[in-house]
Amino acid sequence: MDDTLVTSPLQISKRKRLNQRSKTIIYLVLGLTFLLLIAVAGTLLSHAAITTNFMQKNLLPSLQYPFGTDWLGRDMLARTLRGLSISIVIGLFASFISAMIAAILGTAAATLGKTVDEVITWLVDLVMGIPHLLLLILISFALGKGTFGVIVAVAISHWPALTRVIRAEILQLKETNYVKIAGKMGRGKLEIAVKHMVPHVFPQFLVGLILLFPHAILHEAALTFLGFGLPPEQPGIGIILSESMRYLSLGMWWLAVFPGLALLITVLLFDLAGGSLRKLIDPYSAQD
Amino acid sequence: MKKRFFIALGLTAFSLLILVGCGNDDGIPSSSVKESVIIAMDVESEPAAGFDPILGWAAGEHTHDPLFQSTLLTTENDLIIGYDLATDYDISDDGLTWTFKIRSDVKFTDGAPLTAKDVAFTYNNAMKQATETDLSMLNSVEAVDDTTAVFHLQTPYSSFAYIAAVVGIVPEHAYESAAYGQKPIGSGRYILKQWDKGEQVIMEANPDYYGEEANIKKVTVVFMSEEASYAAAKSGQVDVAYTDPDYTVRPITGYDILSFNSVDVRGINLPCIPAGNKTAPDAAGATLPAGNDVTANRAIRQAIACAIDREALVRDVLYGYGSVAYSESIGEPWESQTMKVEYDPLRARAILEADGWTLDANGIYEKNGLKAEFDLLYIASNSARTGIAMAVTEMLKEVGIKVNPTGSSWDQIAGLYYKTPHVFGAGMHSPAGLISHYYSGKNGASYSNPVVDDYIRQALAAPSVEASYEYWMKAQWDGNTGVTPAADSPWVWLVEIKHVYFARENLNVIDEKIHPHGYGWTITNNVDQWYWD
Repeated sequence: MDDTLVTSPLQISKRKRLNQRSKTIIYLVLGLTFLLLIAVAGTLLSHAAITTNFMQKNLLPSLQYPFGTDWLGRDMLARTLRGLSISIVIGLFASFISAMIAAILGTAAATLGKTVDEVITWLVDLVMGIPHLLLLILISFALGKGTFGVIVAVAISHWPALTRVIRAEILQLKETNYVKIAGKMGRGKLEIAVKHMVPHVFPQFLVGLILLFPHAILHEAALTFLGFGLPPEQPGIGIILSESMRYLSLGMWWLAVFPGLALLITVLLFDLAGGSLRKLIDPYSAQD
Repeated sequence: MKKRFFIALGLTAFSLLILVGCGNDDGIPSSSVKESVIIAMDVESEPAAGFDPILGWAAGEHTHDPLFQSTLLTTENDLIIGYDLATDYDISDDGLTWTFKIRSDVKFTDGAPLTAKDVAFTYNNAMKQATETDLSMLNSVEAVDDTTAVFHLQTPYSSFAYIAAVVGIVPEHAYESAAYGQKPIGSGRYILKQWDKGEQVIMEANPDYYGEEANIKKVTVVFMSEEASYAAAKSGQVDVAYTDPDYTVRPITGYDILSFNSVDVRGINLPCIPAGNKTAPDAAGATLPAGNDVTANRAIRQAIACAIDREALVRDVLYGYGSVAYSESIGEPWESQTMKVEYDPLRARAILEADGWTLDANGIYEKNGLKAEFDLLYIASNSARTGIAMAVTEMLKEVGIKVNPTGSSWDQIAGLYYKTPHVFGAGMHSPAGLISHYYSGKNGASYSNPVVDDYIRQALAAPSVEASYEYWMKAQWDGNTGVTPAADSPWVWLVEIKHVYFARENLNVIDEKIHPHGYGWTITNNVDQWYWD
């Protein structure tokens, strides 16, 4: 009784609630751990994901098969995890390549003079101007589809937004005194860019990279769903979803619902991780 | 005791009530016009070139009755040759001249009589077109008088009767290549009234048809995907809907599930030559990579043939809507019983070991550094073929052969299957299937055996189609050599797939003829004889 009287509301909140920063860190760590777990589990389950068992086909979700089984008796949980892990790996590759392209082009546009800037800005507008999925399909199809086609397609269609961000940041940096002084002291353009400017935009680069993951994963799934991505014998999420379509009218909802939800959650987790990271890095919110 | 009985009775009545209640929910319209029928067909069945026999309508692998046109001959339900326009036909001793006598009472729907001139016109034009109808054996066709057509062949071809059973006769006076397919004029049982491309075909009975009067006066064919077909039946919009064994697990109230016997078989080609070869050049001189080191081994091919549990495929993949198949001619007059093989995984292993294959650490056979491992192509959009590929993979793993199933589309597979085994669909209303699978030259297994070739030539040179059956069977096994699973085994045949349809309970669908490979128009072969209760 006495205790509650002396405890002020502020103290309660301090004791029971974590501050924003700790929360963000917890989100980030949890999200990343979860994603890592999915990736590892999927890799371990690569065999179970394609093993057929005709005695156990078309089963509703149960304790033994939490996500049910499909028309070939394959365990949908194993397939979903495997599919997600494939998606995550492809997402990692594709967004890393994409972010690297963005970093190089963004820096080049901001530092290498007007002509280069114009060319790169034009390229950015061009790629952004073509409908996204169409561009993805074109590239993937031209490269013979499959994992390689998807990675390249996603990688070379996702860089423009981040390129713009990095270009703008570096243009701002160019006006700062220390960069101007470095220039006056006779440093080369490239040296200034690499030594003095790139380290400054690294946080934006990192956040941009992580925020590319959900895009990359969703686009991989979409591309595969439409038949222009992963080969059909691979348990990609897009494959699982497109296979499930014909069974929906038969009432086999679990073939689409669980893998779809799992994809959604994965994407949200990446988004959350990216958002948290931005909060931690961004000086405006870092102290919250 | 009595009490329990009444409770049981009450429960039964209650559950029946519920069932009836469910049935009413589906809302099947009760008044159908009793002389019309609506059939849901797969999208691929809509002929791209229209309903023009010269451009391949009704012919090829997915053979069916041309409906709008008449044919010289016809195939009976047991695939023995019967007569349509022809009243008689005669083959010269050298097999190079076929003389058809045709009816004189047949009129096209525009009123003009059908004569031998139209027959000659049809074939002389059709042989110039590259379609699924193989008319390469024809030299020329001439009309001697109004009722006599003489066919001159380049080589004897006893199976020509089966071609004459699918090529519809078009009117010479009203044929224009570009337009005919859209608005065909023929002498068949039905007249094309309307064709909404990508949607439907409406046809009406031909009032002047020379044969029996049609029961069904109006037939509407709608083209839709499997899911849409199921949904259309469920909402009562179609009378007959094609479907897949998968869908039979959820029957539709008010509809029966019909399944028709077919020669629609699935099998796997096993390239018989080593990798690095090429196919014989086609007309344009193009070749494709051919050959596979693993399946080039005869023991591997023989082992695969007896390592596959065909009963299990029928039960598990086809939900029982199929039967085991050992050849592509199941139920046809030229089917050979010697193609049969027992499921015996132990024998499969024994065959491999006798040939010098030994197990490696992973339980896969190898011989001289070559692993018993190969890719298996399948059309990924087809659930039955996917299922077969997956099940075969598991079964062959049991006998130490590793298979990597590789899903793709037919466009891609068409360039790959000469070097990589593929889950094929086959089955024709003609012994010509045996030529395409086993005759030297460009066949899926790159198979070549002079003895087999010789029997095929003898079969084609036989004095009549009936006399050819014996040679077709000998081509498969003559007591010493052949293509049986115990001999060269270039193709492993697995299952026959029954063609499954949902049809309204009160519609009597008559369709006795064994279906060929491919769903589609075959269902309409006897649509004129269907009737409503």
